[in-house]
Amino acid sequence: MSVDQNGAVGQSVLRREDDYLLRGQGRFVDDLPTPLSTLHLAFVLSPYAHARITSIDASEALALDGVVDVLTGADLAAMVKPIAAQIELPGYSFNTRDVLAVDEVRFAGEAVAVVVAESPYLAEDGMELVQVDYESLPAITDIHAATDPAAPQVNPTVPGNVYFEGRFATEGVAAGFEAAAHVITEDFHSKRVTAVPIEPRGCLAVPEQPSNLVFYSSTQIHHLLRTALAEFLDVAESNLRVVVPDVGGGFGIKAALYPEEFVCAALALRLRRPVKWIQDRYGALLTDVHARDNHYRVEAAINDDGIVLALRAEIRTNGGAYSALPFGCTLETTGGARMIVGPYRITEYEYTATAVATHTAPVLAYRGVAQPVCFMAIEGIMDRIARRLELDPAEVRLRNMVPTAELPWTNIVGVRYDTGSFVESLELAMEMAGYDEFRAGQAQGRLVDGKYRGIGICSFTEVSGTGAPGWRARGLTRLPGFDSGTVKVEPTGKVTAFVSHAHSGQGHFTTFAQVVADALGARLEDVTVVEGDTAAGPYGTNTFASRSAVTGGGALIRASEKARLKLARIAAFMLESTPEDIVVSDGQMHVAGVPSRTLSFQEVAETAYAMNTSDLPEGESFGIEETDFYDPPLVTMANATHIAQVAVDAGDGTVDIEGYVVVHDCGRVINPMIVDGQVMGGVAQGVGEALMEEFVYDEDGQVRTATLIDYLLPSSVDVPNFQIAHIESPSIDTVGGFKGVGEGGLIGAVPALVNAVADALSDLDVNVNTKPLRPALLSRLIREAGG
Amino acid sequence: MSDEVQVTVTVNGRRREARLEPRRLLVDYLRHDLGLTGAHIGCEQGVCGACTVLLDGRTARSCLHFAVAVDGSDIRTVEDLADLDELHPIQEMFHQKHALQCGFCTPGFLLTTVELLERTADPDEAAIREALMNNVCRCTGYANIVDAVAEAAVELRRRSPT
Repeated sequence: MSVDQNGAVGQSVLRREDDYLLRGQGRFVDDLPTPLSTLHLAFVLSPYAHARITSIDASEALALDGVVDVLTGADLAAMVKPIAAQIELPGYSFNTRDVLAVDEVRFAGEAVAVVVAESPYLAEDGMELVQVDYESLPAITDIHAATDPAAPQVNPTVPGNVYFEGRFATEGVAAGFEAAAHVITEDFHSKRVTAVPIEPRGCLAVPEQPSNLVFYSSTQIHHLLRTALAEFLDVAESNLRVVVPDVGGGFGIKAALYPEEFVCAALALRLRRPVKWIQDRYGALLTDVHARDNHYRVEAAINDDGIVLALRAEIRTNGGAYSALPFGCTLETTGGARMIVGPYRITEYEYTATAVATHTAPVLAYRGVAQPVCFMAIEGIMDRIARRLELDPAEVRLRNMVPTAELPWTNIVGVRYDTGSFVESLELAMEMAGYDEFRAGQAQGRLVDGKYRGIGICSFTEVSGTGAPGWRARGLTRLPGFDSGTVKVEPTGKVTAFVSHAHSGQGHFTTFAQVVADALGARLEDVTVVEGDTAAGPYGTNTFASRSAVTGGGALIRASEKARLKLARIAAFMLESTPEDIVVSDGQMHVAGVPSRTLSFQEVAETAYAMNTSDLPEGESFGIEETDFYDPPLVTMANATHIAQVAVDAGDGTVDIEGYVVVHDCGRVINPMIVDGQVMGGVAQGVGEALMEEFVYDEDGQVRTATLIDYLLPSSVDVPNFQIAHIESPSIDTVGGFKGVGEGGLIGAVPALVNAVADALSDLDVNVNTKPLRPALLSRLIREAGG
Repeated sequence: MSDEVQVTVTVNGRRREARLEPRRLLVDYLRHDLGLTGAHIGCEQGVCGACTVLLDGRTARSCLHFAVAVDGSDIRTVEDLADLDELHPIQEMFHQKHALQCGFCTPGFLLTTVELLERTADPDEAAIREALMNNVCRCTGYANIVDAVAEAAVELRRRSPT
């Protein structure tokens, strides 16, 4: 049997999602119709970073017409078990979180009570009237000060405020440093950010039958949420259905499991009424998971040619006040430690990686996870090697990279790079950026017309499509890795494809249809994709960490192939041929060499559904509905190079991005238009992270950035135009050859921009080793350097 | 607080009368009383622009207005742009240029573009970027939106040459 048709995969097919979204008919969670009986929640948030709750008086709130109830931590503790991430790493300090704080609050914004009311306005009125008395306690927010013996203890089960300390060393690290001609050491500082999807979080819990709860949530992980609701609410998982409506951006922060979700579900079950909660922006900034409050000290032993002989990394990440579900507070810690070696031939490596507890919001996934920071560190080291040895930064990278001819390559921590284009992507990006010409121009001096001009490179590997072994290697033994697909050929010959993913803007309805059309031999317009519903299709690990193309694509290809085999068996029986001789093309089937006698999918399906007079072949079951699962390898590794050109104003320190090039390699591209969109959107977030975004706590743990006026996001005048090119090195380790692309734009942008600014200021005695690089910081550095 | 006020507005060409609490936000009135959920609430701080509507022809943040305060106004929302068969040219160009991903901010961008192109038939890139700078998109990186607006300007000029 064979497929003979023009492939849909690889085409920039316009999106099916657009029409209804453009008409304002998107169905985000707050757009869903709610039953008249719906109750609304408002959470009372702690203004203190660390305090003892001495009393909560809800009497005034309860006296308000329309306020149904006010519940505190103790009330919820009777309904929801303390939630906890399951991390199996040696020495990990297990810790739990009450869904509403009991007795003690551990970060500003932690919820201490919830008001249940007949309308959102009344819920907020009630919230204002709940009187909470606190006894303020000393708070700690800094990742270094947190492990001072005198520091206040954040969590009773996290001694010394150390959640986890991981160590790794190869045998020859010390020898590498002894043999080194030079040792380059640098500290890299990354400030805290958060994702800020424009849609805040929300959920709607609707009891539909005595024992059923339909739970709509703006989540990226519907199956994992359903399992967690079952576990922590102690209800039968089979009585829960989680549905993901349209989601207005996720970027990883909606791949966390949040207290509000458990509270909302518990109250709907308890009160036997629909319960809805829609977050406001203040709550989003304070309580969504945060990211990137990291410190890296990196030492590189190099020879006179700039070759890295050995690398040491001392990594410290801020895990916040609780280890958040489902990935835990070690996500950035183990991530950065394992990914920092990037595309380079690092053969001796040692790390210490520590996750610390502080009185700040929990930290979990944000697009790129640890990679924007670990590549800021290693790519910053590459530039420092170049400056020390007076080599070009690109040349230093090329000397250290694993060449394509040596792939597959297994890196020092055991991750296999099956295919890739490290050298080629750098060389192409340099050509597109006019790199050599730019450098030649710089020889006349970097300061021209009041602006320092620089160019920055980031060449990196990009973790995507992680399978179960990859999660286990990071202690995440309860995180599956596989995803599932079900392909159903309906009696009319139309195709419904169910996949265990949930979109938040990626265009899954379009791209997964492309994958299924090709694998099944169907017409693209005949394939409809269904996802984001635990009642539709089997279990999966869902949508985060650049997974969906790899795991969903792989599962759908496998399921499609099974369905195609069944179509071929039935068609062969109807055409008196053998399945091996059946050719499938654009929803039609014929015997090889006999194209005049065709059967449509509909004709074959009618046989499968006993809707005509043909019999099924002996032993064949009714229907055409096939399911399969796909667990990718340890890690599916994409790669890319970004090159940024910047101009730093010598007076006010503002940074203009004058050129931006991306050469990306995510293996086989399903839809180039959508891949480019992912890259550009990621770079825009990287522009924010590198140049403006910072979530600020003061020393007492008070939030200084509680609005979008204080937490700056990049706008249309901050983000440049892009030149993007693709190299396709299809994965040989994954079904379909796909690699992920969701995070690369952001990962590459932060180091490329930081390096570009550092390059621009490299004639001055200025060390650029932190982000964000805001005008106030840069103008001060320039001024202090006498520039 | 519960003393309701009579409000009369025109929404997408249709006269609407309501008795509303003075504190009811225009965006909540549109979304939850009229079912026009295309305007979205992203911040309630007037920053993100997801709630943008046209108020007497000018873009306005529907999260920053009380419904009673716009009594007598003419309001246009994203639901008014397309007809049943065909998207508005601006919407069509957003589709062609992949100028939306999650689509949550998109209605605000569309209405901001309507205002821009009603005032300036042939804006250059800088003018487009300037006009869009008060709407935040976290998905697209803006470049495709800028392209879509430029192409929509071309299409609108083609349809009604001056």
